[in-house]
This record gives sequence, structure tokens and C-alpha cells, in this order.
Amino acid sequence: MNRLMKAIGFVVVCFIAAPLVIVVPMSFSDARSLQFPPPGYWLGYYEAYFTDMSWLRPTWNSILIASATTVLTMILVVPATFALVRHKFYGKSVANVMMLMPMAVPHIVMAVGYYSYFGQMRLVHTHLGVILAHSCLSVPIAFLVLSANLKGFDRTLERAAQSLGASPMRTFIHVTLPILRPGLLISALFAFIQSFDETVVAIFISGRDAETLPRKMFDSIRQEADPVIAVISTLLFVVVLIGLLTPYLVKALRGRLRKTNAGSEAPPAALAPQE
Amino acid sequence: MSSYLNLSGVNKMFGDFQALDDVNLDIERGEFVTFLGPSGSGKTTTLMIIAGFEQATKGRITIDGKPLDGLKPYQRNIGIVFQNYALFPHKTAVENVYFPLQMRGVGRREGLEKANRMLELVGLKGFSERHPKELSGGQQQRVALARALVFEPSLLLLDEPLGALDKNLREQMQIEIKRIQKRLGVTTIFVTHDQTEAMSMSDRIVVFDKGRIEQVADPLELYHRPNTRFVAGFVGESNIMAGHVVDATAGLAECAVFGSCRYPADDRFSNGQAVNILIRPEHLKISRKAPESGEWATMTVDTIVNYGDNALVIGHSGDHPVRVRVLGADVVIIKEGEDCHISWRPEAVHIIAET
Ligand SMILES: Nc1ncnc2c1ncn2[C@@H]1O[C@H](COP(=O)(O)OP(=O)(O)OP(=O)(O)O)[C@@H](O)[C@H]1O
Ligand SMILES: [Mg+2]
Repeated sequence: MNRLMKAIGFVVVCFIAAPLVIVVPMSFSDARSLQFPPPGYWLGYYEAYFTDMSWLRPTWNSILIASATTVLTMILVVPATFALVRHKFYGKSVANVMMLMPMAVPHIVMAVGYYSYFGQMRLVHTHLGVILAHSCLSVPIAFLVLSANLKGFDRTLERAAQSLGASPMRTFIHVTLPILRPGLLISALFAFIQSFDETVVAIFISGRDAETLPRKMFDSIRQEADPVIAVISTLLFVVVLIGLLTPYLVKALRGRLRKTNAGSEAPPAALAPQE
Repeated sequence: MSSYLNLSGVNKMFGDFQALDDVNLDIERGEFVTFLGPSGSGKTTTLMIIAGFEQATKGRITIDGKPLDGLKPYQRNIGIVFQNYALFPHKTAVENVYFPLQMRGVGRREGLEKANRMLELVGLKGFSERHPKELSGGQQQRVALARALVFEPSLLLLDEPLGALDKNLREQMQIEIKRIQKRLGVTTIFVTHDQTEAMSMSDRIVVFDKGRIEQVADPLELYHRPNTRFVAGFVGESNIMAGHVVDATAGLAECAVFGSCRYPADDRFSNGQAVNILIRPEHLKISRKAPESGEWATMTVDTIVNYGDNALVIGHSGDHPVRVRVLGADVVIIKEGEDCHISWRPEAVHIIAET
């Protein structure tokens, strides 16, 4: 039974990883268009990516839009989540559903909606338009992550802080926020990735000026199947990999530091000024 | 007549539910007072009202003559130890203890020094750099205590702080808390539903039941002279029998189980008044032969529970269950299923008015 489970697990992992196995080698390929297995290898397409403004501009747009989307999303989601998780008010369940709505509606429907609605407001083909649309799509994801975190938050910690002399504001800054930080970071990361990855709405409303990377890739694959796409995919994969591994690396490093510290037996180290 | 902490006429409603019913209490400066009572009796609610986390529906509270109304929890200068300790997980032990000082504008160097001294006082020297999750339950408890004391609070509140600890550690912490409290002289309210804990630690015990204070007394008074049937049953083991007063001036009562019982005469009672007669199990003496003098009754032994140094004999007299505590060496004289005699002295009889 256990062996069977392992076998199934292996097959699933292979299936999921298969695109990577194809894409990564293709990025080093010297073929004129996407082709697998590659006939030969070179770094020419990497050079092409890093020198061609028609690729770098959408990359920059995507980073800009995803960052702004993240900021806007968090500004909206943090207070909303506190209100929805911690307080009772009239219409709360409706508000809850509204928060999650953009996730339930197909992106294509949202995209058509934005196209006509933003058109009237002259927001189509602008960065602002894409940022607003993406924020709308990111809100439910960020909300889900953060509310799960907030629900698990032990409120006696806040009571303790207040009994120790912290006003509600200082309690929030010194206790609530630091403890929720991992949740906030993950929530923000999801918002960022959502925007960076979003294609359908971007195709409809980003236009030439605010063209995002996924849109440019989509156009490119339709027109010429430029192997630069494989380069970008590989680079994105590496970035994500670094992002995923960083916490583990940091943890391992910290564990090491602590061990060496414990060895040298620092007496009341706290007496020395810190930070 | 001014006590340090005064609660007068405190009522608390949660919707239609009356959680506290006219609570009046005076606590002296430096006293160690325990709130004892069954689950849901209003102990935590009272504490939370004193701390400012709940608002009393009626009544007022003063500390040192100054009313607390309108003061927010963070303005009250009251230290609290919560049942789950509520240590800040992102701060080390010493940073946790420094926190209240930081909130009071004490500089980091001076504050950390003071926090370290406080950790030393609670026996945690050398643990200051650990995070809460790297500490055992008892150690976390000590950090929480240090944190609640470091800012010299005008009152220390502890809500079942030992509930999560095992028996040995619990007893150790009881002694520790008592020692630290005495040393610092801080006025303390300690909540528990463990009566032995209350008996061993307190200057005075406040017994709560259903949102009301049943009795306030020092531990021995509470044990030997409970005011109500509830207190008699809740604190310690007891034989409580319904009866009535026969002769109030001579101190004679009667109950169906033990017949007539003399008791130390008390002018609170009148002839014919319905009362409860309390005799603690350790005040009953078992013998095979009927005693020649004094008062006695017969009893059939059902079960003997041996604890080594002593034993609890559970039996019945008529329909009424009777519990007798005997010294371990004496238990050999009786066997389960046998009949025997029990006797007692008038001083051991306590009469409680039926309410
Ligand atoms: N926020 C609240 N809303 C409604 N009822 C409450 C609330 N807090 C407490 N109560 C009720 O008030 C009563 C007293 O509660 P309290 O927490 O003071 O009891 P307690 O004596 O501390 O009991 P325990 O020993 O179980 O901690 C209980 O019946 C409880 O259900
Ligand atoms: Mg309680």
C-alpha cells in the first residue's frame, strides 16, 4: 500500500514537473523557434532577452503593476479582514461573500466588464487601469490567507499587552503586527504573484503602454514562438525557487548561528544594547 | 474604614444572564486573596471587570480610594497572569518582561537590566534570551509572573495560573508565587477552582457561587465554620445532615441520622429552626464497641479507600452516606461490610442555617 502511494506520488510529481524539464533546456536551445528536444545549445536567447526593450519594457511593467497591486490590495484587505474576522455588524455575511466574489467570477467575464467600464473612464491601456483590475482579483486571495491567520491569533496576547500598559495603537504595532507578519507577507506575496501571473484581463485592457509580461509572451507565442519565452519561463522559475528556498536557508543559517552562540556561553547578553 | 481595593454592589449582565449579582468585597493592602468557586461562578468575570476588560453593569470599584471608572485597561497599572500565560511569541523572555517598562518609557538599557533582575527573582537566571516556545510550562509561567510584576503594579491578578501544570510543578509554583508575593508585598487576587490550592496559599478566600459571594474568610475559618451549606460542601470533605435546633441556649440539635447532637451554643439560632449539621470526616472516630460516654451512632462500612498514611471509610447510617477519615494504623480494626460505631465531640459539630 505504502509503495503504491509512493509510486502514485512519483508519477504525479513527474507530471507536474514535466513542463520544467521541457522548458529549461529549450531556453538554452539554438533553434529558431520553440522546439524540443533542442538541436543544439547556446545562450543567445538570454542575451536577446536582456537587450531587447520590447521584452524588458513589459517585464518592468509587470513588476510595477504587481507591486502597486500588492500595495493597494493590502491597504484594502488588512482593515477589511480585521473588520470581518473580529467584529459583528449588520450585513457581515454579505460583505464576506462580496470579498470573495472576484474569485468565483471567470476572469474573462471580469475582463469584458473592465474593458467596457474602464473604457468609459479612459482607464483602458493605462497602468492605473490594470492595477485597479488586478487589485480586484487579488483581494479575495489575500483576504483568504490573512483571515485564516487572524482567526488563529490568540487575542489574550492583546489583552496582556494592554494590561501591561500598551494603548490599542501600541498593542497593534508591538504585538499584533509582528505576530501576524508571516501571514501578512504570504498574503502580499500571493497578491503579487496573482497580478504578475494574470493574463486574461491584461490582454483585454493593458494595451501597448501598460503591456505586461504574460501578455507579451502570449502575443509572441501566437506570432513567432520566440524561444525567449522559454528564457523568461526559466528565469521566473529560478526566482520562484529562490523565494521558496530562502526561508529554509535563513532557518538553517540561524540554527547554526545559535549553536555557535550557545557554545561560547554569553551570560546576560541582553544587558548589552541590541539592534 | 478604608480598604485598599473595594468592590461595592458590582453587577454584571451578559444579555439576560446575570453573571455577577451584587458583589461586595474589601481587600487590604498586601493581602493575598483567592477567588474560589465552581466553573461559571463569575471568578474570571470579576477579575476582568477589575482589570477593565469588561464593564460592570452596576457598582463601583476603587483602589486606594480612587475610582477605576473610565480608566482603560492600559491606564490601570494592574498586572495580570493569564491561564495560558499569553507570552509574546516574537519576543525573548527578557524582552517580554521589558515590555511593560518600554510602554512606560523606560530606556532599553535600564529596562532590560531591571527585567533581568526580575527574571532572577523568579528563578530564571540564564533563560533571558530564550523565546517562549523554548521554555517549559513552569518556566513560561515564571516569565509571565515576572512580566506582570516588573512595573510594580498596584494589584496583581492571576487567573488559574497553575491550571496547565502537573501536580508536582503546581505545588512548587504555589510556594514560589507565595514567596515572591510576600517579598514584593503586592496585593494579589488569585483565581482557582482547586480548594487545596486556595487553602494553602491564601490570607483570605472568597467563595463564589452562581455570581454571588458566598463567604469571605481565612482558610481555617472557612473550613471549620462555613456560613452556607454550599461552602461546607465545596471546601473540604464533609458530612452534612439536615436537622433542626432543639435547644438554642444549651446548644442542642437533632437530626434523623445521628440523633441528638450537642454543639457549641450560638445565639444565631432559635428553637425549632431548620439547620444543616456539619461534621468533618476526620472528626468522626470509629470504634467496634459503643463508647461509654458522649455522642455516637452506628454505621455500616461499605468501602475503605486506603491512602497509606490515612484511609477514607465510606459507609452509611440509615439511608444517609457517612464518610470517616481514619489514620492508616487504625484502619485494621474494621472491615468492609461490618457494622461499627462512630463518635464525635460537640466542638466538632458545626451548625449552618438552612437558607
Ligand atoms: N462574554 C460573555 N458573554 C456571555 N456570557 C458570558 C461571557 N463571559 C462569561 N459569561 C458567563 O458568565 C458566567 C461566569 O463566567 P466566568 O468566566 O466568570 O466563570 P469562572 O468562575 O471564571 O469559571 P471557570 O472556573 O470555568 O473559569 C458563565 O456562566 C459564563 O458562561
Ligand atoms: Mg475563569
